[in-house]
Amino acid sequence: MKPSFLQRTWEGFRDTRVGRSIFRVGLPGSNLERAQAMVSSFLLHFQPAKVSRRALKPTTTLGLGLISLFLLLILVGTGVLLMFYYVPGTDQAYAAMKDLQYVVSAGRVVRNMHRWAAHLMVLFVMLHLCRVFYTGAYKAPREFNWNVGLGLFLLTLGLSFTGYLLPWDQLAFWAITVGANIASYAPLIGPKLKFMLLGGNVVGQSALTRFYALHVMVLPGLTFLLLGIHLWRVRKDGGLAAPELPVDQTEPLEGGSLPVNKTYGLMELAKGTSFQVGRDPDEEVFSWPHLIFREMLLFLAVIAVVLFLAIFFNAPLEGIANPIHPPNPAKAPWYFLGLQELVSYSALWGGVIVPGCLVTALAVLPYLDRSRKGVGRWFARERRVANTIFSLCLVVAIALTIIGSFFRGPSWSWQVPWKTPAAAVSEEH
Amino acid sequence: MDSESPRKLRIWFVVLSLLVGVLVVVAYYKDQFRSWKIYQHQYIQDQVRRASTPQQKAIAEATPVEIHQILLPQLDRVDRCTTCHLSVEDPSYAGYPQPLAYHPNHDQHPFEKFGCTVCHGGQGRATTVAGAHGGPNPLLPMDFIQASCAKCHDASDNPAAPELARGAQIFYTVGCIGCHKLNGVGGSIGPVLDHVGDHRSAEWLEKHFLNPAAMTPNSGMPPQHFTKPDLHAITLFMLSQTGESLGGFYTSMKVIPSAEEGRHLFETKGCIACHQLNGVGGKIGPALDNVATRRSPEWIMQHFRDPSSVTPGSVMPKFGFTETQIRALTQFLLHVNDHKTALNIPALMSAVERGRDVFRKYGCAGCHGPDGRGGVPNPNAKPGQLVPDLIHVADGFTKSELIAFIRRGQHEIPALDPKKPAPPLYMPAWGDKIKPGEYQDLAAFLFSLKPKDEDLGF
Amino acid sequence: MTPEENNEHKTTRRGFLELTLGWTTAAAAVAASSAAAVRFLVPNVLYEPSAQFKAGKPGDYADGSITFLEAERCFLLRKGNTFRCMSAVCTHLGCTINETKTGYHCPCHGSVFNEDGKVVGGPAPRPLPWFLVSLSPDGRLMIDKNQLVPADKYLVI
Repeated sequence: MKPSFLQRTWEGFRDTRVGRSIFRVGLPGSNLERAQAMVSSFLLHFQPAKVSRRALKPTTTLGLGLISLFLLLILVGTGVLLMFYYVPGTDQAYAAMKDLQYVVSAGRVVRNMHRWAAHLMVLFVMLHLCRVFYTGAYKAPREFNWNVGLGLFLLTLGLSFTGYLLPWDQLAFWAITVGANIASYAPLIGPKLKFMLLGGNVVGQSALTRFYALHVMVLPGLTFLLLGIHLWRVRKDGGLAAPELPVDQTEPLEGGSLPVNKTYGLMELAKGTSFQVGRDPDEEVFSWPHLIFREMLLFLAVIAVVLFLAIFFNAPLEGIANPIHPPNPAKAPWYFLGLQELVSYSALWGGVIVPGCLVTALAVLPYLDRSRKGVGRWFARERRVANTIFSLCLVVAIALTIIGSFFRGPSWSWQVPWKTPAAAVSEEH
Repeated sequence: MDSESPRKLRIWFVVLSLLVGVLVVVAYYKDQFRSWKIYQHQYIQDQVRRASTPQQKAIAEATPVEIHQILLPQLDRVDRCTTCHLSVEDPSYAGYPQPLAYHPNHDQHPFEKFGCTVCHGGQGRATTVAGAHGGPNPLLPMDFIQASCAKCHDASDNPAAPELARGAQIFYTVGCIGCHKLNGVGGSIGPVLDHVGDHRSAEWLEKHFLNPAAMTPNSGMPPQHFTKPDLHAITLFMLSQTGESLGGFYTSMKVIPSAEEGRHLFETKGCIACHQLNGVGGKIGPALDNVATRRSPEWIMQHFRDPSSVTPGSVMPKFGFTETQIRALTQFLLHVNDHKTALNIPALMSAVERGRDVFRKYGCAGCHGPDGRGGVPNPNAKPGQLVPDLIHVADGFTKSELIAFIRRGQHEIPALDPKKPAPPLYMPAWGDKIKPGEYQDLAAFLFSLKPKDEDLGF
Repeated sequence: MTPEENNEHKTTRRGFLELTLGWTTAAAAVAASSAAAVRFLVPNVLYEPSAQFKAGKPGDYADGSITFLEAERCFLLRKGNTFRCMSAVCTHLGCTINETKTGYHCPCHGSVFNEDGKVVGGPAPRPLPWFLVSLSPDGRLMIDKNQLVPADKYLVI
């Protein structure tokens, strides 16, 4: 097989002094080099040198975490570009959005990509959370990483929420006004929290400045910090959660001379806190190229979906924010509409008790659920009770969100989405 | 990288790469295609066709295709309308179809100083037809264009905007401010109207006037029976109330004083004590009816600044008017004869006449009808589902009882059918909003309404 | 070894073609996206004073006057019925120059220019440029900073 032109160019460059100084290992030819390629590269070293065939199967994780990561990368890329035009001033932010929409080359598609990637990221982080729950992957030793992931989920919501205000149009202004008021229902700290978040009592210039600082600096910084910990812990906690081995194969060797907390993770050929026997080496393949290539395919797919959405569906931009004329109804971003629906029944329940209990329950869950059964399998029968409770909560949350999104009209009164009431028509013009 | 990958993955790779490649190309074309470029190419072709010399033709062909914009930092606007409307300043395009039509009459409002959207509305930064002409602040229909004049000029007194002035006049005579506040004056039964033109369309307003409840559920506002021209004029006036504040140079336009302001000054500064106008006033100074024919505006203005400087030995004092007040008074004196101005000087009027003004000022007519002759419908109110007329008010009250009643109002209107919704209109408690002297005048006016002949015979 | 893995090490001509096609397209998409990102950063509209501007009517300027046009940073000179316009931006490092009795002086590094904008002292490397002055159809002075003219070219009205 003759090397291709690309391959020859690459190898030519790699053979120069400069090329060797940058790339510690060339394109791997042997298994040793394949392992080295993963271990010695900064961009690849957080992934193992070998992965199990099970991990490569799409149905194992559906790639939800990876999709979230790719969406985050798209968001950083497009977000940095948008920063070159955006001005976080109440008198200029909206004008900057109009310029992006109408005069900047590729401005519209960049903004659309940012918008759709943001919505998708919220969705996929939620789906990733569900996947981890339904496969029991939060159980020991992954309790802490589950909580890091929970933090990343909240940061994702925070990033999306802070970004929502930045266009400074009616949609943004009123969604944030409503969202900030939901936060103010928390007892004791609620009103103070809202005051700190907005830098005042109403959504104005100081709120915009704060949301901008949070959106482009503070929250992305925290997200990347937690993301680093999250990915690192995935490795350190033994990679993807896998079904438990039969008991006799995971017994530590007799003698007790080996400390049980020592890790035998040499080149990732063995895992866990004990010698493992009975695991077929053929069950594992080299990450390069098997994992890397699949990841690249997934990345291409994510890019394709985001680009497609960005080309054919424009991100909304309504009239400039007008504190005097709220739209009716003023709605929070979609992922908070379930909460808004609850708040419409009871501020205390919707604003505090339900979200507070949910987050607390998710956080302490791995410490309470000490059963080691059903790890690494979807909807394991041993976890029937846990899965049923979780599914019920999920169904209620989805139902509330759908009701809040589609079945609530002016003054939060019932409406049927396919029949717009006359009053709503008259409010539009 | 790896021709070792299983075939299925390679196929996926090729398909996805091609898909991304195709999407990038589609994104590029969608971004490159901008509708304004079509209009610019049409304009350039037109210029080439019109060129008479090869040199002109070369210049026309070299016209760059780019976004044109008018920067208006003081108005906080950027108007890109001229990106498509390329020949607004070129008279040879008079009568051309849009977007290339010439814009006549712009010498007093040059585009580089006023842009387009300040008068026409629309989204100045947008460069598509839908985006620029539509959106949250859509293009103002041409038959309502006078509404924009009020952004800088006085609405009630602008000879170039007669429809607007008529709308303002209707607004203040039919009694809208009985329920609505405008510029801080008026009742609080209905919503404040300071920004109404900012978020309502002409179509919405017209429908709302004719049948308020159809547009705003549960509205207590009675349907208004305007003639078509009146409906148009009052809608136009409502559209002019945008609450927009313009900065810098444009604010100074607001102080271009109107004759109306001059009249107000003339009435309140006591000029009439020494000067006669329309046959009323003192005789110390000369009568002013024909001052415009005798004196130039400059002379009159200088006379206001310092009377003795132009009329040696004048006994008229230096009043210390501001320049704006001087211009307003001069404007008034110059036009005093064109308008056949009726002076409104309280001291020279009877209590009944003053009371009629009070009746108008507080918008009583909005519910009780012009001069209290008949009320508007008030569903489910006793006895006749109408707001009562005031013609016979003298029969049921003494003057002081009447004043006490107006002060305290009547919040609960007795219902015909207790099961139906309560009557939407009620008598507000006017309290101290109406001044004590005004109450006296109002009572005198209301008592004067009783037909004289009824006292005879019965 | 699974059959699949056995196959992996056999490279076929077809597989090679597929990969080349995939990589070429992907590389082209990356290149196009990078180009688009660069193009994104090139502004299509500017929020600065235009290089072509109108400067009022000839009658607004007195005979023999030198008027500093602040926003556009240039001097408009009238002598008799002739008009010229000269840059007020020092050719050394871009400071705004001041008018003096004998010419112009830059306050930053002391460059000195004579009445015609020629360098007579200091570090300025080039004389000050002169701009084309013309008369618009509505009788107003038009200056085009994109069109340089020699110092002795006047607009005569």
